[in-house]
Amino acid sequence: MKIVLRQASAILAIALLPALVTGLWHPRRPAWQSDEVTLAAASAWQNVLWVDARPDADFARAHIPGAVSLNEDRWDELLPGLLDHWDTTRKIIVYCSSLSCQTSHDVARRLREEVNLPNVFVLQGGWEAWLKRNHPS
Amino acid sequence: MAEAEPPFVNIKRIIAAIIGLIFLITGCLKVLDPAGFAIDIQNYRLLPWTCGVLLALYLPWVEILCGAALLFNIAYRGALCIGALLLALFVVAYGSTRPRGLDIACGCFGHGIHRGYWAVVIGDTLLLAAVIWLMKVDSRPLSPVIRGNGPENK
Repeated sequence: MKIVLRQASAILAIALLPALVTGLWHPRRPAWQSDEVTLAAASAWQNVLWVDARPDADFARAHIPGAVSLNEDRWDELLPGLLDHWDTTRKIIVYCSSLSCQTSHDVARRLREEVNLPNVFVLQGGWEAWLKRNHPS
Repeated sequence: MAEAEPPFVNIKRIIAAIIGLIFLITGCLKVLDPAGFAIDIQNYRLLPWTCGVLLALYLPWVEILCGAALLFNIAYRGALCIGALLLALFVVAYGSTRPRGLDIACGCFGHGIHRGYWAVVIGDTLLLAAVIWLMKVDSRPLSPVIRGNGPENK
């Protein structure tokens, strides 16, 4: 038992060093602040630019009023459209279908890292959360 | 008893190597994208974001080291112990998502890869069972070299 604990402690201790290096220098290290906002918090914000990260067909079916479509499939085509609507005073909130989808985080990250836009957030719960609040059934 | 050992030892070695390889691959996939893994952890809604970030930086390396330890038979029993704990925690955490109304990617094979709830729960429970079996049947290192000369046997 002593040996098991010693070996396990050694593994856990050794893992600290590369973890520290990852946290300091990894190009895709996570930010220490969460980028998610709840719909309640977002509703209180002024001057928000909603960005719909869902596929084109979903966007065409329905979207948050005033939202701009930007998905990774047609990133280069759609990005200029978003930049036309953006100015430095606007907060960007990206959403996708639901809590389980990841694309809003990916789009938000690309907007921050590749386009260097500030104040980019992700809507917690995505389109589903919006529907639940605005069209409860 | 000594005559019956080689095939049994081989089976254990193969299982340990497979589990080690799985840990190694899953750890490497997470190391490639720690930000994505932090988001996957956050989706579980069990920890505050900062704790998720710390785990996203640390856990993949623990997995990689455990995987390498099992694969190369170094600190074997310690690696099994950590592996069992990780898998047990993971099965409980992921198992709780559906009852809590969450439908999320597990984050086990990289960011955003959705394998389906039961596939993940059953797969990881089987993996956990295999690790526990290895812990039970073998309290010694597998390598004959280490078995003969390891500090445990002195």
